[in-house]
Amino acid sequence: MANLKDIRDRIKSVKSIQKVTKAMKMVAAAKMRRAQENMEQARPYSSRLTDIIQNLLPDVDRGLLPLLNVREVKRVAYVVVTSDKGLAGSFNSSVLRKSQNEIDELGKENVDVFCIGKKARDHYKSRGYTIIESHVDFWGNLNFNHAIKIGNGIVSHFLNGKVDEIHVVYNQFVSVASQMVLTEQLLPLEYEADENTVIDRLYEPSKDEIVKSLVPRHLNVQMWKYLLESYSSEQAARMVAMENATTNSEDMIKDLTLEFNKARQATITTEMLEIVSGAEALKG
Amino acid sequence: MSTFNLEIVTPTRILDAGEVSYVRCPGTDGSFGVMASHREAVIGLDVGEIKVTQGGKDSFYATSGGFAEITDEKVQLLVETVEKSSEIDSNRAEASMQRSKDRIAGKVDADMDRAEVALLRAINRLRVSNR
Repeated sequence: MANLKDIRDRIKSVKSIQKVTKAMKMVAAAKMRRAQENMEQARPYSSRLTDIIQNLLPDVDRGLLPLLNVREVKRVAYVVVTSDKGLAGSFNSSVLRKSQNEIDELGKENVDVFCIGKKARDHYKSRGYTIIESHVDFWGNLNFNHAIKIGNGIVSHFLNGKVDEIHVVYNQFVSVASQMVLTEQLLPLEYEADENTVIDRLYEPSKDEIVKSLVPRHLNVQMWKYLLESYSSEQAARMVAMENATTNSEDMIKDLTLEFNKARQATITTEMLEIVSGAEALKG
Repeated sequence: MSTFNLEIVTPTRILDAGEVSYVRCPGTDGSFGVMASHREAVIGLDVGEIKVTQGGKDSFYATSGGFAEITDEKVQLLVETVEKSSEIDSNRAEASMQRSKDRIAGKVDADMDRAEVALLRAINRLRVSNR
């Protein structure tokens, strides 16, 4: 049986870890609420924009805009959205696993990687993948300009003909308890040709012009959505992970306290036995 | 005077203007006004000033462009940024105007198109802030 001091020290350290996990949980909860608010604010804009695009694109020739061109797929880019920090359960590992599986299926040499977040950068750097750009250390003060900046880099890579398709792997925020890892195609834009929705609408200056300025904006908003979803998911995942850690440490303290009491009693019993047997011996 | 519902939507916030009687927007082909029962339309917006008339009072907003979507139920302005005239920090606008002027003058290496757009935006914000 471990000695009393060892057990006491362990209880102490578990308790201090518990304090940390509790605090982290609270911080994550607060950040998540803010992120969720941002997400809700962004939704109407992106959904309206998507609606307009879905209505317009079937009428427009894909040749109009390089961003709409469907080319023979020779090379593909993957945008992998992770966090900068760990301690968020399987948040990062599941994105990395899914993205790596998909990349390896196409062959590592045929894929360019855009890394968002330190975790993705470290993962793909150490494994020798072709990283085009990494964006790290911005999650703390995430704003729309980051989305524009990241989006521009990715879009110009596509426009320069370096890659023929762009996929994004990210965590979608479903609820606090569940996040879903998704792969979506960012470029070329996908849409369904729908013949029967003809709306009598006026387009100014013209349909083509509207599409030309709409598509880049749409991409920025898409990127913004990915960042927000991922950030909310990260905070939710961390909150749940820290909640679990706090509960686990509670259990651990309980077990250790039991062990400590047992050890203490055993010591007392041994001491008593020694005293009694000593007294017996004196009696002769 | 009949009114209609106006919403100004940006990626980071929604400005619910409520029931308004008139809105004037900076269209890419020139400024245009919308009143109730306008026909359905999607119109591109440029950098400029949005004027909203509500209950006989005018308010002004600076925007950096986007779209106006006019439907039977309401008018939505989908714009990248929007600032109410009273919210604009004119010192900041002035500073960014100076910055983009410097860029255009070639004092700093920069992307010309972007600098020009930035200058337009700064001038627009200054103008609206004086309303």
